[in-house]
Amino acid sequence: MSTTADEVINTIALSFTDFPEDVQLNILSFLTPLDISNFACTSKRFVTLCRDDRKLWFSMCERKWGSKTHINKWGNGMISYKILYYTLLQYENLIGFWRRSGVETDVPLVFFEWGRFYVAGSRVKPSKTGSYDAVKMPFLWMGITSKGEVVNYLDPVGKLELNENVMNLDDLGVVESDLVPVNVNFMGKNHVVVEENGSGFGYSARGSSSSSGNVREEEYEDLCGSPGSLPDKLMSEIYQYFANKTSPGGNGSARRQRRRERERQGRRKWEPEDYVKIVNPLPTPDRPLQGLWKGFCDDTTLEFFLVSYDDIGGIACRRLVELCKPFSAYAPVFWTSNTTFIRSPLSSEEENIYESRMHIQPLSEADEPCEVLPSSDKRVILCMHFMNSSYDLVIPDLAGSTVNPRQAEGRIWQYEDGTFGFGFLRDNYIIDLRCIAQNGQILEVADFSGE
Amino acid sequence: MITLQSSDKDVFEIEQSILIQSGTIKNMVEDDFTFIPLPSVDTETLIKIIEYMKKHADKTDSKEKNIKEFDKDFMKKTLNELFALVFAANYLHISSLLELLYPSIADRIKDKITEAIRQIFSIRCDFTPEEERRIIMDNKWAHEGTEIEGTLD
Repeated sequence: MSTTADEVINTIALSFTDFPEDVQLNILSFLTPLDISNFACTSKRFVTLCRDDRKLWFSMCERKWGSKTHINKWGNGMISYKILYYTLLQYENLIGFWRRSGVETDVPLVFFEWGRFYVAGSRVKPSKTGSYDAVKMPFLWMGITSKGEVVNYLDPVGKLELNENVMNLDDLGVVESDLVPVNVNFMGKNHVVVEENGSGFGYSARGSSSSSGNVREEEYEDLCGSPGSLPDKLMSEIYQYFANKTSPGGNGSARRQRRRERERQGRRKWEPEDYVKIVNPLPTPDRPLQGLWKGFCDDTTLEFFLVSYDDIGGIACRRLVELCKPFSAYAPVFWTSNTTFIRSPLSSEEENIYESRMHIQPLSEADEPCEVLPSSDKRVILCMHFMNSSYDLVIPDLAGSTVNPRQAEGRIWQYEDGTFGFGFLRDNYIIDLRCIAQNGQILEVADFSGE
Repeated sequence: MITLQSSDKDVFEIEQSILIQSGTIKNMVEDDFTFIPLPSVDTETLIKIIEYMKKHADKTDSKEKNIKEFDKDFMKKTLNELFALVFAANYLHISSLLELLYPSIADRIKDKITEAIRQIFSIRCDFTPEEERRIIMDNKWAHEGTEIEGTLD
C-alpha cells in the first residue's frame, strides 16, 4: 500500500451511512420523535428507514420501555408502534402512587404499574389481619386494542385476569356488567380524572384526553397532525365515530341491546374519580422521613401515612385517609422542622425518654399482648427530632397559649435501617413506621384472597 | 496470552481473561487460536478497545464507581473516534461498549436541524431541491408549535 493511499484513508470521515442497519437503529432508538423527524430528512435512505414502523418505532419503544413491559404484546402485536410510542408516553406519567382527592374514602391510595401489555391500577389499603401487610386490589386496566384504540376498564370486583393479548370488550368473554369502560384524562401532569365513558364502549377517543398539561405537549400535538399522516386518519375516524355513533368495529344493534340490558340490571353509574399524584413516595438520603409509611397506632389497626417536606424546612406527617378528605383539616399527626434533629449518641435524659417506652406491636406479632417490654430490641437510633402534634406555635409558659406543650410535644427516632418511630410526651408509646414501597414495588403485599 | 494484530500490523499481547469480553475473540480462543489478526481494526482503535477491556475486566463492587467515571471520560472523544470504536466493537461483539457508544453518538445529533445532522454524520444529501422541499413539508407536523432553532455546532 502506498503512503499516499494510507493518508487519504485516514482523512476520510467515517459516515453514519456505513454502519449496518441494526447499529443505526440502535443509535436512533435513543432519539425523540422530533430528532427523528429532523434526521429522517437527511437522505432518501433515511426517509425510508424512519418510516419503517416495525424497525425504528419498535426500537424506540423497546429502548424506553422494553425493560418494563412486553412491547410486542401490546395491541396483540398488531398495532403501529408509532401509536404505541405516544400512548406509552402518556401512560408513563401514571406509573407510581396516586391518592384520591376531594372525596372521603377509606381506600385513598392507588398504585399504577406496568403489566405485560397494559398498565394496571390497584387500590392499596392496610390489611385488617393485624399484620404489616398491604392489600393490593387491581381495579383499573388500561391498554390498546389490536386496532390501535386506547381502552380502559374499571373492574370493580377485581376479578379480571388478563391472560389473552386482547383488549376488545367483545373478546374478553366476561360478563359485561362487571366491567365499566372509562376514560382516564390528564388534567396536568399530576392530576387525572377517571370517568365513565358515556358512549359505553371503553374506546377512549384520543382527542378526548385533555392535553392541556401533558408533559410532552408538543409531541401530543404532533399526533393530531397535518393531512396525510396517520394521526389525522385516526382523528377523522374518531370524529366519524362520535358523529354516527358507530364504532369502528361494532354492530350498532348489538350494542344497543347490551346497553338496554345493562340498564335493566340497574348498573350503578360511576361518579368520576379524581386522583392526585403522590410526587415523593419514597425517602431519599436528604429527606429520610419523606414518603408513604405504614404503622400501628394501636395494636390492632394498621394505618397509612404520608410524610412531606415543604419548601421552608418543615416536615409534616398526615394520615392518608385524612389527607384525601375535601377541605382536609390541616391537623397533622406530627410536625417538625428538619433543623431540629440531634445525632446519636443522645443525652441520658433523651435515652431515658426512648427506653422507657413501649413499641406498639400488632397483636399478631406480640408474644404476649400485654407485655410491657422496654425497647431492648435491635433498633439502632441514628438521630432524633423534636416534634409537635400541632402547627400551633408552642411556647412554654406563654400565657393564653391554647396548647399545653406537654400534650403536643414529642420525638421522632430515626433508625439505622431507614425506618423511624415517633411518640408523644403525653404517653409512653412508640409508633414505628415502615415504608410501603421500595424500588417501585409495594412491600409485604397480602394475598388478596386472604381478606 | 493471546496476540492481537491490528490492520497496521502492530501486535499486542493480552491475557485471555481480559479478552473474552469480546464475543468474537472468545470464540476464536475456544477454537484454540492464540494469534488473532484483526484486519478491520486499526492500531489507534485497538489500543482504545484494549484499554476499555482492561478496565472492565475487574468488575468488583468497589470498582463500580471508578468504572462509571472511566466510561464517562472514555466517551469524550471525537465523533470519528467513536464511529471507529462502534465498527470495532460491533465486529468484536463487545456489547457493553456498544451500549455506551449508542447514546453517546445519539447525543451528538440531539436538537440539531437536518443540515447540521448531515454535516455531523457525513451523510450525503441525495434529494433534488424540489424533493427536499416536499420531504420537509411532509415532516412539518413534528415541528408545529416548536421553534426550529437548530445549531451547527
